[in-house]
This record gives sequence, C-alpha cells and structure tokens, in this order.
Amino acid sequence: MSISDEDIRAAKDRIPLAFRDPPAVLWRKRLLWLAFITLFAWTIYDFDITPERIWTGLGRLGRVLSFMFPPYIWKSWAEIAEILNGLGETLAMAFLGTVLGAIVAYPLSFLGAKNINRLSFFRHGIRRSYDIIRAFETLILALIFIRAFGLGPLPGVLAIAVSEVGTFAKLFSEALENTSEKPVDGVRSSGGSRMQQIRFAISPQVNPVILSILLYNFESNVRSGTILGIVGAGGIGFLLSDRISAYRWNEAWSIIFLIIAMVYVIDWLSGLIRARLIGKSEGAR
Amino acid sequence: MPSTLALTSLSRHFGETCAVDSVSLSIETGQFVGVIGRSGAGKSTLLRLINRLVDPSSGIISFEGRDITALKGKALREWRRDCAMIFQQFNLVERLDVLTNVLIGRIADHGFFSSMAMHFSDEERAMAIQALDRFGLVPQALQRAGTLSGGQQQRVAIAKALVQNPKIMLADEPIASLDPMNATLVMDGLKSINKDDGITVLVNLHTLDTARAYCDRIVAMRDGQIFFDGIAAQLTDDVVRDIYGIAGLESFNEAVTSTQKFAVSI
Ligand SMILES: Nc1ncnc2c1ncn2[C@@H]1O[C@H](COP(=O)(O)OP(=O)(O)O)[C@@H](O)[C@H]1O
Ligand SMILES: [Mg+2]
Repeated sequence: MSISDEDIRAAKDRIPLAFRDPPAVLWRKRLLWLAFITLFAWTIYDFDITPERIWTGLGRLGRVLSFMFPPYIWKSWAEIAEILNGLGETLAMAFLGTVLGAIVAYPLSFLGAKNINRLSFFRHGIRRSYDIIRAFETLILALIFIRAFGLGPLPGVLAIAVSEVGTFAKLFSEALENTSEKPVDGVRSSGGSRMQQIRFAISPQVNPVILSILLYNFESNVRSGTILGIVGAGGIGFLLSDRISAYRWNEAWSIIFLIIAMVYVIDWLSGLIRARLIGKSEGAR
Repeated sequence: MPSTLALTSLSRHFGETCAVDSVSLSIETGQFVGVIGRSGAGKSTLLRLINRLVDPSSGIISFEGRDITALKGKALREWRRDCAMIFQQFNLVERLDVLTNVLIGRIADHGFFSSMAMHFSDEERAMAIQALDRFGLVPQALQRAGTLSGGQQQRVAIAKALVQNPKIMLADEPIASLDPMNATLVMDGLKSINKDDGITVLVNLHTLDTARAYCDRIVAMRDGQIFFDGIAAQLTDDVVRDIYGIAGLESFNEAVTSTQKFAVSI
C-alpha cells in the first residue's frame, strides 16, 4: 500500500488531531516542561550544588570508607557484650513496639471497617484518626517522647507503638473489608450472634493476613529502631552514633555491618514464617 | 397431618422489586418440598425469610403455632438453629478445618467465652464426627474446608446443619454448582435426612427432573408469587411452560444437569 501526498492531505482533513495536538494542548505541554526544568535547575542552584563540591565530598567519602579496612574486631567480652546488648535492645524495642501497636490497633480496626461498623459518620471519624496518627513520623514521635520520658528504649518503644497504631489499624480494617460475606451468612444461618459471626467467619479470614502484616512491620521496625537509637532512644543506633561522634569510624563500620546482617536475617526468617502461615488452618484460628 | 410451618401473606420488597409477594404456604412435618421457578422468581428470598436472614416487609411466619416473625436476640438465634440452611456456594469458612466448620452448627448454644476460644466439648466433637461419617468425610475432618471439592464442601455443610438438630432443613439451590455425581450424593443426603431423621426439607431447585425425582410436593414461584403447588404428576408441560416461559422450555430440558439419569444408572 502506497500513500500519496493526496492521501496524507485527505487524512489530515478528516482527523487533524491525529497529526498534531491542538495549540492549547501544545502550549500547556511546553509550559509544563518549562516549569519542570526551571524547578530542577533552581533547586540545584539554590543548594549550591557544584561539581567542585561533589568532587571534594567524594574524596572525603573515600577516606571514611577506607576505615572499613581492616575491619574492626571487638576483643574483650565486655566490648562484645555491649554490642550484643545494643542489638538485642533494638530487636526488643521493635518487638515490643509492634506488639503494643497491634494490641491497640486490633479493636480500633473493627470500628474502621465498613462491613463491621455500619455507622458511616462514626467510621469516617475513626478512619481520619488513623490518618492523623500516621501523619506523625516515628522519628518525630521519638524526639517528643525522649523529651518526656528521658533517653533510653522506652521512648523508642512508645514511638514505634504509637505510629504503628495508625498503620496497623488502617491495614487491618482494609483486610477486614476484603473478607467474603458468604461464611458470615453461613454462621448467621446456624444461629451465630454478631460476635460469633466475627469470631468464626471473619477473623479466620483476616488472621493470616494480620500475622503477615505483623511480621512485615516488625522487620521494618527493626530498621527504624536503629534510626531511633541515633537520636537517643536506646539500642544499637545509640552505640553507632556514639562511635561516629567519637570519630571511631572503624568501629562504626563494624556496627553498620552487624546491623545490615541482623536486618537481613530477620527479613529471611520472617519471610520463612510468613510462607508457612499462608495456607495453614492453625494460622487462621 | 399437623401443619408445622405456615407462611401467611408473606412479602418482601427490595426498593421497587417485590421479591416475595404475599406468599401463603403451609408445610407439614416430614414433607420433602421442592421450590422451582426461573432465576429472580424469589426462591432464595423465600428461604432467607424463613430462616430470618432477611426480615419480611409484611406477613407472618409461624412454626408449630408460634410466631417466628417477631423473634429477636437469643430466641431468633435459636430459631435459626432449628431451621438449618445450606447454600448454593456452601458458605463454609474455607480457612478453618472441616471439623470446626461442622461444629459451627453448635454455636447457638455457646456463650461468649467458649466462642471466642473456639472451644467445643468432646461430646460435640464426637457428634460432629458422627455427622461427617454419614457422608463419608471422616478422613477429611482435619483438612482445611477450602481444599475440599464442591461436592465435599456441600456435604460438610449438610453435616453442619445436622449437628444443629434442626426441625426443618432449608436448601438454596444446593446442587447448582455441582457435577451430576456430586449432585446425586447431596440430594441423596437430603433425602436420607428427610426419611431417616424425619426432618422437613424445603429445597430450591433449578432442575425440574431433580424436583420430580426427589420431592413429595413441588411449589413453583413466578414473580414472587406461588404459581403452582402440587405433586410431581400434576406438573404438566403446560404448567412448566408457564413457569419458565415458552422460550425457556426447550433449552431448559437440555440444559438441566440430570441427577435423575445418574441416580438410575448408579
Ligand atoms: N438483597 C437484595 N437487594 C436487592 N434486591 C434483591 C436482594 N435479594 C433479592 N433481590 C431481588 O429480588 C428478586 C428475587 O431474587 P431471588 O430471591 O434471589 O430469586 P431466585 O432465588 O428465585 O433467583 C430479584 O429481582 C432480585 O434482584
Ligand atoms: Mg436464588
């Protein structure tokens, strides 16, 4: 099939927009590109990001990295115990924060689920309260709680717990809303009360999902737990920031590697557990 | 014969639609009654009204002279236990094991704490295993209900209904999602409950020959109303044509999954 100029002209006459955007659209596109490029260039200019600064920074980065070698190895038991204690404290903070958050979020999530709480204005109020809690970053909560409760693991645990209340309540209510109503009918038709319908028909559907969410967030809380330590809320992060401020970079690197190893192991373990829970009736009970 | 279940001018509207339109019906103890009618005729709504899963807009349901329509709370839950119901989609809790699903038939008598702990007595467990045994499902007792075939799930649902010690059994198109062999097993199960345990059975069916093969009495619904009520022999082609509409008849006779043929060949 060959196309002559005549054909092209005819097609352009029939559907002009197939060949060229209308002027308004064209100008809008150009303006958007211009705005995007201006913003990009201006932020680089305003932060004074120059090749020179990048270059000198890279040089110093090399020096910091060079402290990795030879790796620092703790020799006395007292030193090792301090590090292990820090790692354990971070794990314990993540564990306690996750569990406390879940205990508070669990009942709240029922109030936020459409298929359970049918009073829509009440439900929406509850849902907004989840959003408000979630708007507080864990780190900010930790800073506030450190001021109130003093340095150490307690403010870290509270920060994790409070921020998880919002996240868990939201995720749990979504899991509740994704349940099938058919088993509910089945339980209701046998004479089950509303509580029994929830216990026998709904919770077996959500429990495996909730367990999986718990494990996943425990993992991510182990990570955020180290950050919280850096601002003074106990755990391995506290030791890390201590070594960094004392310019003991070789030791700091060893701690960083230990943290990475710990997070990796937790990831792997919880992945294993989650895979086992899915599809088992014990997990549903 | 004593008239046990009586519906008097029972109606249920959903907005503009009148799903069940002043139905009056009286069903004697021990009958095996089939309800037929095309899709949307109001069969499911009628059964759900009797079990009180749906509240009537008007009319009265009574059982052994007692008004069921006004029941609330504990009395309502006890009524639901007494008139067990099984569904086309089985409505089991797929993630729980088969035994626990059967034990759900006992929860109307359970208090708050034993329910929350999912605790059942040894007596109840033995009862559930006996019920499963009737349908050859003991080997599957500890399996997750969701892993069973449709036919097995429906028989679990019947076992669950049985441990309720019901007086009536309602079945809403119990074989519509099953292959002919499983359909026969399920219908035979219902028949045995009716004959051996003397439980009244009221079953919605989408296949005419199944209704003819199993039911003492056939009730046909059309647009929410009772259109025919009699024995199978009275269900002539003319009546059938009116129930399903003329166009429906030919495709109907071919499309039906015939439990009867199967029952004969077994
Ligand atoms: N929960 C409901 N909400 C709105 N309409 C409904 C509901 N249940 C049933 N209906 C309507 O009532 C009519 C009868 O439905 P149904 O009892 O399911 O008929 P059948 O079981 O005979 O197919 C249909 O028109 C259906 O759309
Ligand atoms: Mg139906």
